[in-house]
Amino acid sequence: MVKEIFFEVFPTLAENNFGWEKEQKDYDNWDSFAQLNLITFAEAKFGIEFSLEESIEIKSARELVERINSHLK
Amino acid sequence: MNLIDCLKNNAERNPTKIGFIDEERSLTFKEMYDEVQEFSKSVSKVLGTTKVVSLLSENSTSFVIAYLGIINSGRAVHLTPTNISESSLANQVRSTGSGMILCSEMTKKLGIFHIGSFVPVGPTSISGLVESAKDIELKVQTPTDVAYLIYTSGTTGEPKGVPVSHDMVEFTTKNIIDVLGYSETDIDVIPLPLYHSFGLGCLHTSIFAGSTVVLLKNADNLENILESVKKYNATSLAAVPATLTKLLRLDRKILDDCLQGLRLIITNSTSIPKNTVKEIKGILKGGNLATYYGLTEASRSTFMIFNEDSSLHESVGKPAPGVNIKIDDEHKGDSEFGEILVKGKNVIKKYWNDEKADKSIEDEWLRTGDVGYLDDDGYLFLKGRNDEVINVGGEKIIPHDIEQVVRQIPGVEDSAAFGIPHEVFGQTIKLVVKKSENSDLDKLVILTHCMKNLEKFKIPSKIEFVDSIPKNEYGKVKRSMLK
Repeated sequence: MVKEIFFEVFPTLAENNFGWEKEQKDYDNWDSFAQLNLITFAEAKFGIEFSLEESIEIKSARELVERINSHLK
Repeated sequence: MNLIDCLKNNAERNPTKIGFIDEERSLTFKEMYDEVQEFSKSVSKVLGTTKVVSLLSENSTSFVIAYLGIINSGRAVHLTPTNISESSLANQVRSTGSGMILCSEMTKKLGIFHIGSFVPVGPTSISGLVESAKDIELKVQTPTDVAYLIYTSGTTGEPKGVPVSHDMVEFTTKNIIDVLGYSETDIDVIPLPLYHSFGLGCLHTSIFAGSTVVLLKNADNLENILESVKKYNATSLAAVPATLTKLLRLDRKILDDCLQGLRLIITNSTSIPKNTVKEIKGILKGGNLATYYGLTEASRSTFMIFNEDSSLHESVGKPAPGVNIKIDDEHKGDSEFGEILVKGKNVIKKYWNDEKADKSIEDEWLRTGDVGYLDDDGYLFLKGRNDEVINVGGEKIIPHDIEQVVRQIPGVEDSAAFGIPHEVFGQTIKLVVKKSENSDLDKLVILTHCMKNLEKFKIPSKIEFVDSIPKNEYGKVKRSMLK
């Protein structure tokens, strides 16, 4: 489900360019607005709410999954 | 003196000095001047009599070559954000009558260029324009010719084209240099987009002062900003307040190490938290923190160099030399605040083919749509933007743009968008939605639709379903009741 969020927020992202460990700096268009969009989609999809600190710290798909899991426990 | 005259002067006086640095290369003043000349001739050969060229590029030395090259060819540059949507780009290009869309390799990949066949030449990558054209005569620009054109949502509704002439650029830039003390010994780090008035004004300042400019692609990579300041022994840094606030979350020792050699940090008029002012001043030691108030239509109308008087830390300063500011008393009613009006050589005479927008300029006074007051000593204090406009990290958004897209979604009966405070962006967007009867619409459907139809800075960060949306007797949404 997190992978789907990435393809929503980065519509030009090719399937073979997605990576769980791939970091923000490896994306051409992962800027602060895209970061906000990722957080918004994740909150809506999982019915959770991130703190500002959490929102800023997420830098990869793996970290987003970990943050979501910590809220769902 | 226009930008090209200044570049030529720099190239003659200091031909081997590094004037322009980006994340991949550096150019001396002479190299930049020669590249600009070549570029101008290529543009002229390809375009003939076309008056406007659109430029869509992230920060780079190639951006500077293209920007100055278009101007040097006797044309105006239409600057667009790199995150512009396909429909907005199409509207702007139609409005300008642009003859070509020049883009960087990165923006070319965005795939937003399916905008019909009304652009004679486009999209063309900057590096792809290599027509040899030695015998082309370049048209000399006059001071009142338009140097660049930026579309702004402003504060009153539809995007408006703001044409900025060479004499406006000269007036504004000389004020920046005089007030903030720029000189050719400066090394200026700019992580701001050059397609916005703030970043572009910083580039102009470096060219007029003959200093060295270090262009970063964006301000998202805070470590890169700090490393660049240290690596190049920078003397000035330009950053929006949100970036400064985020920087202060980093390790203080690193900040001290990288920033304490700066003589100036310049920020802009989005409200800057008092604590940020205090902490940045603590880091700078001998350096200054300064801000300004301005619009694309009236660039750098005030300046404020923060001093020890903390009662002034929420002010945007006094009017710039040769600029007049007044508050509209007539319409302020019982409030102590009123609309800010600006007059001076930094103010546009009229908008680009927009008679409706021109009504906000009366007797050379520009109605800014911003609200504020002047204290007894002439310091200007901003109290906010027109309440309809949402300012997300410097991007101004009209709620109607979002609402009309959301209302296309099956199951939406009504909607309203408005700004909510956000620690980093200043504001983000909240959307309230009234569902149709028996609709099982959920938030993800709305977000997905928005993502496909709006620029990413227009995506609501919060969505709430409501039973009704408050409106006045004319059917206008009462946004103040929603906040």
